[in-house]
Amino acid sequence: MTTAHDTSLRTRIVEEFARVAREHGKTLAPLTDDLALLDSGLDSLCLAIIVARLEDRLGVDPFSAADDADFPVTLADFVRLYEDAA
Amino acid sequence: MIVTGGSRGLGLVLVQRLADAGYRAVAIARKETNPLLSAIDDAAGAIEFVPFDLGDIAGIPALVQRLRKSFGPIHGLVNNAAVQFHGALALMPSAQIEQLVRLNTLSPIVLTKYVVRAMMADGGGRIVNVASIIGTTGYSGLAAYGATKASMIGFTRSLAREVGPMGVTVNAVAPGFMATDMTDALGDDQRRQIERRSALRRLPTIEDVAETVLFLLGDAATSITGTVVTVDAGNTA
Ligand SMILES: NC(=O)c1ccc[n+]([C@@H]2O[C@H](COP(=O)([O-])OP(=O)(O)OC[C@H]3O[C@@H](n4cnc5c(N)ncnc54)[C@H](OP(=O)(O)O)[C@@H]3O)[C@@H](O)[C@H]2O)c1
Repeated sequence: MTTAHDTSLRTRIVEEFARVAREHGKTLAPLTDDLALLDSGLDSLCLAIIVARLEDRLGVDPFSAADDADFPVTLADFVRLYEDAA
Repeated sequence: MIVTGGSRGLGLVLVQRLADAGYRAVAIARKETNPLLSAIDDAAGAIEFVPFDLGDIAGIPALVQRLRKSFGPIHGLVNNAAVQFHGALALMPSAQIEQLVRLNTLSPIVLTKYVVRAMMADGGGRIVNVASIIGTTGYSGLAAYGATKASMIGFTRSLAREVGPMGVTVNAVAPGFMATDMTDALGDDQRRQIERRSALRRLPTIEDVAETVLFLLGDAATSITGTVVTVDAGNTA
């Protein structure tokens, strides 16, 4: 189920991907739901920066809350983790 | 600037030197001490104390969040807090071994994890890990402690490679024996023996070591990363 709130969360996440790509001179692949994060054009350090920025903006870090979370595979998985944590 | 174990010994002197040098220093320890309280009074807002038990690994993410909320971006982190248990490994309680590894290895690694990603997001930062000459040389009775101090050196080198591209430097300082609470247990004979075996015929002071950490945190050290600076008055020369 997608509520307005969820949509804006996705938007904020996508904005952060774009900003970090810009800052680090990376070319971002089109951000579709089934895009594998490792194919997004960002490396793991950039993904770590995104997690840190989102923690500042949203006040949550789903990766430190989860006991044993594997890093999500696709963009949709990533967004869902934040939706679940919100 | 965050200094773990900033309430006594090396950490306290470092916090004072940071404040003198114009930085805002945050000391983390379980409890404040009178010398820290008077340093806070003297520093007119440049020194803060945040009580936290660094053995509480699960609480570290929230600690870092609180530090950033209260004090803003973190420019430097000094992993200085540590415990030392002295004694034959063959008789050392496993709980003590576990506590050594938890406080001296696990805790600084997890704390660094949360601090370094914030530093990367902010465009850079400085990390200094306080190791020891016991991380690379032997001392009977300090096998488990020595393992934890060696771990800080390995951690320093690989992390420096990992986060260098994001503008974060990571270095270690390896002090020789200094006179602090930690080395109170050393007898006079042992101390004299260490002095005799040192090129400079003395122990390094806490101030010597604090100056080295300060240097690594400052602008003069921008091109230094992934290295270990030994400050031991030539004990291992
Ligand atoms: N002294 C030496 O000769 C020597 C030589 C080589 C390397 N080193 C290294 O230098 C560093 C500083 O040593 P030092 O001699 O200054 O130590 P120290 O005088 O024993 O002080 C240790 C500091 O760590 C804090 N600490 C200990 N357990 C803690 C916990 N669970 N949570 C939060 N803080 C904790 C203490 O505060 P609380 O107890 O209030 O928590 C205190 O501020 C250490 O990394 C040590 O391994 C020391």
